Amino acid sequence: MLLYILKRVIAAIPLIFGLLTVTFFIIRMAPGDPASLYLQGNVDPGIADRVRRNLGLDDPLPLQYVKWLKATATGEFGVSFSKHRPVVDILADAIPNTLILTTLALFLNIALGVLIGTLSAVTRGSWVDNITTVLALFVYSIPEFWLALMLILGVSLHLDLLPAAQMHSPNADQLPMFAYIFDLAKHLVLPVFVLGFASAAATGRYMRGSLLDVIKQDYIRTARAKGLPEWKVVGKHAMRNAMIPVITIVGLSLPFLLGGAVVVEAVFDWPGMGNVLLEAIFSRDYPVVIALTAISGLMVVLGNLLADVLYAIVDPRIRLE
Amino acid sequence: MFTRYATLLLLFSLFLSSCGKKSGSKSEDPRPETAVVAIMGDVDNFNPVVSAELIASQVNDAIFPQMFDVKFATGEGRLVYGPMLVKSWEFLNGQKDIRLDLRGDVFWEDGIRVTAEDVKFSYGLYGSQEVSSPRQNYVRNMIWTDGKFDVDRSIEIINDSTLIFHFDHTYPTQLFHLNLPPVPKHVFQNADLRTLDSNPANARPLSAGPFRLEKWIRQQEIVLARNPKCNLPYPAKLKRVILRVISEPVTRLTELKKGTIDMMWPINPEDVQDIQLNYPSIRIETMPPRVYEYVGWANIDFKAWNESGRKVIKPHPLFGNKRVRQALTYGINRQQIIDGFLGGYGQLATSDISPIFRWAYNFGLKPYSYDPEKARNLLAMAGWTDTDGDGILDHNGRKFEFTLRYNAGNARRAYAANIIQDNLKKLGIIVNIETVEGVVFYEKIARKEYDAFLAGFSVGLAIDPSDRWGSDIQNPLNQAGFRNTRVDELIRYGQNVKSYLEAAPFWKELQAILHEEQPFTFLYWIKEIVGINNRLQNTEVGILGAMNEMWNWTIGSPQGSVVY
Repeated sequence: MLLYILKRVIAAIPLIFGLLTVTFFIIRMAPGDPASLYLQGNVDPGIADRVRRNLGLDDPLPLQYVKWLKATATGEFGVSFSKHRPVVDILADAIPNTLILTTLALFLNIALGVLIGTLSAVTRGSWVDNITTVLALFVYSIPEFWLALMLILGVSLHLDLLPAAQMHSPNADQLPMFAYIFDLAKHLVLPVFVLGFASAAATGRYMRGSLLDVIKQDYIRTARAKGLPEWKVVGKHAMRNAMIPVITIVGLSLPFLLGGAVVVEAVFDWPGMGNVLLEAIFSRDYPVVIALTAISGLMVVLGNLLADVLYAIVDPRIRLE
Repeated sequence: MFTRYATLLLLFSLFLSSCGKKSGSKSEDPRPETAVVAIMGDVDNFNPVVSAELIASQVNDAIFPQMFDVKFATGEGRLVYGPMLVKSWEFLNGQKDIRLDLRGDVFWEDGIRVTAEDVKFSYGLYGSQEVSSPRQNYVRNMIWTDGKFDVDRSIEIINDSTLIFHFDHTYPTQLFHLNLPPVPKHVFQNADLRTLDSNPANARPLSAGPFRLEKWIRQQEIVLARNPKCNLPYPAKLKRVILRVISEPVTRLTELKKGTIDMMWPINPEDVQDIQLNYPSIRIETMPPRVYEYVGWANIDFKAWNESGRKVIKPHPLFGNKRVRQALTYGINRQQIIDGFLGGYGQLATSDISPIFRWAYNFGLKPYSYDPEKARNLLAMAGWTDTDGDGILDHNGRKFEFTLRYNAGNARRAYAANIIQDNLKKLGIIVNIETVEGVVFYEKIARKEYDAFLAGFSVGLAIDPSDRWGSDIQNPLNQAGFRNTRVDELIRYGQNVKSYLEAAPFWKELQAILHEEQPFTFLYWIKEIVGINNRLQNTEVGILGAMNEMWNWTIGSPQGSVVY
């Protein structure tokens, strides 16, 4: 297995390099100017030219590419054009905020998804199954931004139960530890719900399909024949095998975990990677966009690898070579 | 099993109910002596020399010592100056030089005194080619040697508290250009100028102003605390002002309605009625018009100009004729756009000198009325008639059809574009509407690649039409490709007199020319709407911004009762 992992990691290097190169050229060739902020009334128009020169954007593109490649190879992501600080620092600020949001959302997604899927599968064809199927499809079809805005209006404004934006109340770090965590928890409820709820509907469908496949197997019949209670048959024997597709979701969720959720972060003003990416794209902050693409690319590759490895661990029938 | 579920349910409902609870009773202020303001985006840094974001300059005004106490005299429509760090000032040498006497009791947070050296050093940074400060044009009229700002010849230090600024010539806004806040020399004297914008000291500024930076959680909040050592005439009254970064407009408005923030802008005109009816604790204030929107017309043929390496200058085939541009303005029902979208928060524009500058504004100019008949006549005089009876105007075999572009996601411009399309269709002009991503949109305007576009502009506090209306077509801000020798003369005259009143006739004539030429169709001035919770008092929402004179803000009514 170790050899397999090593092989996959080595194979990923040219892939990531290719991804970064394509990203570099696409974003540099896209229209838009990082110095456009300086093109406003009362600012000498010559300043924008000088800013462009200082950022190295006057060099020919191939030269910019070589410079960038050299820097990236040494782990240097450069300095953000708009925030004037090292990209690494920007990421270091945003990653923990995103992780807390996405991890909880993933947890909710899986917990709720497995629950719905199992419920739906064991009651197959009944009204419970039909209702959950329709509801899951309905929830899955709701656009995230709409659900988020409706929750802000309903839960936050009209019912006044939860805060609408950000991850803390003003000056929350003056609060004692428990109150601080409670404050964070309150801010987490809505974004985690929006992120986790819709995807739970999808996970539920996977879980249902997979469980229905497993339930038809001979060993399940055997288990029932042994006289095991139904919850034990499903919970102990069927679920373990039916969970394999869900594990794939965990593996493939890695890019989401670090990349953040652009729409939800924007609506709830969550200071995470999604917001950083959005702002960077709008201000043509090339170093930040490239760094975020690199991270997402890396996570896709690692996520796939993780999914494969987890497969082998959970399912003894699969051997990695 | 049931008991376990019941316990969980109980815990969850307890959690939710506690979420809704306010900390303390209604009579107890959850944020004593603290104001919370929602801002749309984070500041880029806390260094007034290099910060480019508008919000950063407003925050920096509260942290760094202001040279003057600048107020806007609404009656006269001009800025007036009072003492702040500058105790007194005197014009010398026929007003070409200005002597400033600084207060001797103003200190940076680390205890070092703010001196004339700091001021001179800071102006050196503002004017430096290497730094590329967005405020470099403030030193444009001081002394330059070999194309570089000469700080030693421009600023003469007499002693620790006295310095003399030398100008190249006299002009009405000299004091305005002396109002750049100083930064501490002892912090930045060894800084690399090329990377000044990423200097770590920009994140932890040394204050000498009414507030100091207590905390900056990037992308989240900026906490300004009262600077107890502030010796300026206006120390902060509030203990804290917290600026929360909330970029999503609906979320921001929700927080205002909930009372978790005390101030936000801009509020959409369509939300005002709901606020006034349902949220009595929020008051609505407006900023006087400093932003206008316009349809930019290519006065010259941009395509030919760009293709010839920026050499060939000939009139644009559609908009090169003054009569056509006048006709377009007559043919657009600007009042309909104002009534439909801005309500009472818009005002017809005649040029880009704001009516707030009462001394300079040409009240004699009557805005073009909506007059399709007049428009048709003017178009016919310019040769545009419907010769083939297809309902579309034509001239020399060319149909009158063009693409009007605006930046995507701007609802007001979308509304205006649709009305313009509809209005001009009635004249026999086909308008195709195209939305463009914001950054690309402004870049293409600056490069003169669009023949017609719907944009907006925020005017400065000092009247300076040179970038916009001077005949330099290369200037990215001359978006119309406008050229007029009389306007060039007027700009020169207006910028070479001693007082603003002497400049007034030149600016009035300039407006008359713009009104006649219609290089743009000036649509309307926008009065930005600010929502403020009544607990926040003594605000000074005006031409200088919503957070102007933040140091005077207080919480609660004078009687001491707190209103939520």
